[in-house]
This record gives sequence, structure tokens and C-alpha cells, in this order.
Amino acid sequence: MTTANAPAKRSLAQTLKPYRLVFAVAALYAVAALASPERALQAASVALSTFVGVAPIIVAVFAGLGLVQVFVDKQAMARHLGDRAGLPALLVAAAAGTILVGPVFVIFPLLKTMRDHGTSWAIITTTLTAWAVKLPMVPLEIGFLGWRFSLARMTLTLVTAVVMGALMGRLMRGQSAERDMEAEPEAA
Amino acid sequence: MDPTGVIYLAGVGIAYAVFWRKSQDRSKSALRAGAKSFSGMLPTFIAVFGLVGLFDVFIPPALIEQWMGSSSGALSLLVGTGLGTIAAGPPAAAYPIAATLLKSGAWAPAVAAFIVSWVLVGLVSLPMESKIFGVRFAVLRNGLSMVAAAVIGLLMGVVL
Repeated sequence: MTTANAPAKRSLAQTLKPYRLVFAVAALYAVAALASPERALQAASVALSTFVGVAPIIVAVFAGLGLVQVFVDKQAMARHLGDRAGLPALLVAAAAGTILVGPVFVIFPLLKTMRDHGTSWAIITTTLTAWAVKLPMVPLEIGFLGWRFSLARMTLTLVTAVVMGALMGRLMRGQSAERDMEAEPEAA
Repeated sequence: MDPTGVIYLAGVGIAYAVFWRKSQDRSKSALRAGAKSFSGMLPTFIAVFGLVGLFDVFIPPALIEQWMGSSSGALSLLVGTGLGTIAAGPPAAAYPIAATLLKSGAWAPAVAAFIVSWVLVGLVSLPMESKIFGVRFAVLRNGLSMVAAAVIGLLMGVVL
């Protein structure tokens, strides 16, 4: 299994990628400035005022993110989810997924470890899907799209997480795990 | 200054005060972890906000209307889901783009599908997901998630 190498390789790509994007956008601005200096300036001022408008929210979100990262014990959460089954387990997994914080190359291996310790595919899928709720980022989402949008998206994502878990539990049945049979939830 | 930002800052400040009494060391490392995540994401923020500005001034709303407008129906939904699938990056970058799309006249369900597929489906991370969980799991999960994104988008159109 090459999972051990994946994080290092991935994090290097991860550090380079954002800067590439900054250069690309700077190049676009250069082209825009050549085409129409006043419109390029207007674009820059829209960019700046958008950023300044949400800067306090961004600072608050990342300060909160730090708290979640340090005070939520991912390993303990994984152990807690491991030996559960059925619909209540999916609900717990959905709740756990929402406070899970971290990039793909941290979350995937963590869930893989859970899987290796016998956690059902259903639980893995539900946790992974609920991770898409991104609860710590919600203030920023509300700032840009409004609380109705954010609330509706979160609720529907959570429902999807449970449905997807049950569905994937069925579709993955018999895939490389004898323990699936006992850990499989009967909810579908 | 935006009052909501101040309210969030006050909330986080209170949370830190509570955790500070529990453990100073861990609160400090929480601040460090937050600062580290922020500095890691700062280039993306700069790029995305820069892009939002360009978008706002140079992309004609008619183009957005045509591809993601409500009159285009299923096509809009497909375009929204597709864009979110291809896009990679922190969700924090998706929100300003989505807000710009909405302002330019994009259909709300299409924008919702865009956000949901952005956070739920990862074309870029598909090889990694396949390697870790197996191809069957990765393809099924991402495929189902794309369908889910479109369905959630439609349902959000009803709610909003």
C-alpha cells in the first residue's frame, strides 16, 4: 500500500498549487490592464472591497478552525465510530463528519485506518459525505450566500450523508471484508 | 465594518477565553494551527478574490444567463454540477465564486449544485481516493455524489 507516501507527495503539490493560481490571476489582470486599464482597476477594487468585507469573518473562521483542530480528537472519534452499526450509527457518523476538519490527504487515510479496523463501508461513506458540510466554514458561507442557503445546503447534505451511507453499504457488500456482514446497518 | 464579522470574532474570542482556562498550551497551539491553515490558504484567497473582481467586471451577465440561468433548466444544473466537479480547492474559495454567479443571474439550484459538487466530488482527488479505498468505492461514491449534488440543487430551488 502506498498510502504512507501519499501525504508527503500531496502536501508538496498542495503548497505549490495556490501560488500557481496567484500567478495565473496576476497574468489575467495584466492582460485586462492592457485591454482596458480603467476596467482592470475597477475589477481590482471589486476584489479588494469583497475581501475587506469578509476579512473579519475569515479571521474568525480560521481561529475557530484552530480550536476544532486541537480540541477534537480525530483518533478517539474514529475509535468511537468503529464499533457501531445500524441507523443510529449512521446518524452519529453524520454528526461526527460535520466537525471533522482537515484536507483530503489527512481525512482519507484516517478513514482508511477506520476501515482497516473493521468499520463498515456505510459508516465510512456517511462520515466522508458529512465532512462536506464543513461546519467551521459556515460563517463564511452565510456571509456570501445567506443563512437560508447555508442552512438548506447543510440539512440536505446531512440527509444525503445517511442515504449515501446506507446505499454504499449495499453496493460495497462483500467487497474485501468479512466483517462487513456483522457491521452492516439494516437501514436502507 | 460589517457587524456579522464582529459578532463572529466576539464569539470566537469567548470560545478562546473558555478554552484558555482549560489549557493555555492547547489554546496557543489552536491559534498556531489556525494561523497555519490561514497562511496555507492565503494564496488561494488572493487568487479567488482577484478572480471574483475580474469576473464581476468582464464576464457579461448574458453569458451566465445562457449557461447557468433559470431558463436553461437542466443545462444549468449540469453546468453547475460539472464546474463543481472539476474545481478543486478549499470550500472557502467556492463561496465568493458562487455569490458572483448568483449576482450575475445564475439559477439558484445550479449554484447550489455547484457548491455541493465542489465539496462532495473531487475529480482531482479521484486517483488518490481510488488508491486508498479502491476504484469501486471511489467511482461509486463520486458518481452518486454528482447525482446527489444535482438533486440537492433542485430541492434547494424549492426551499429558497
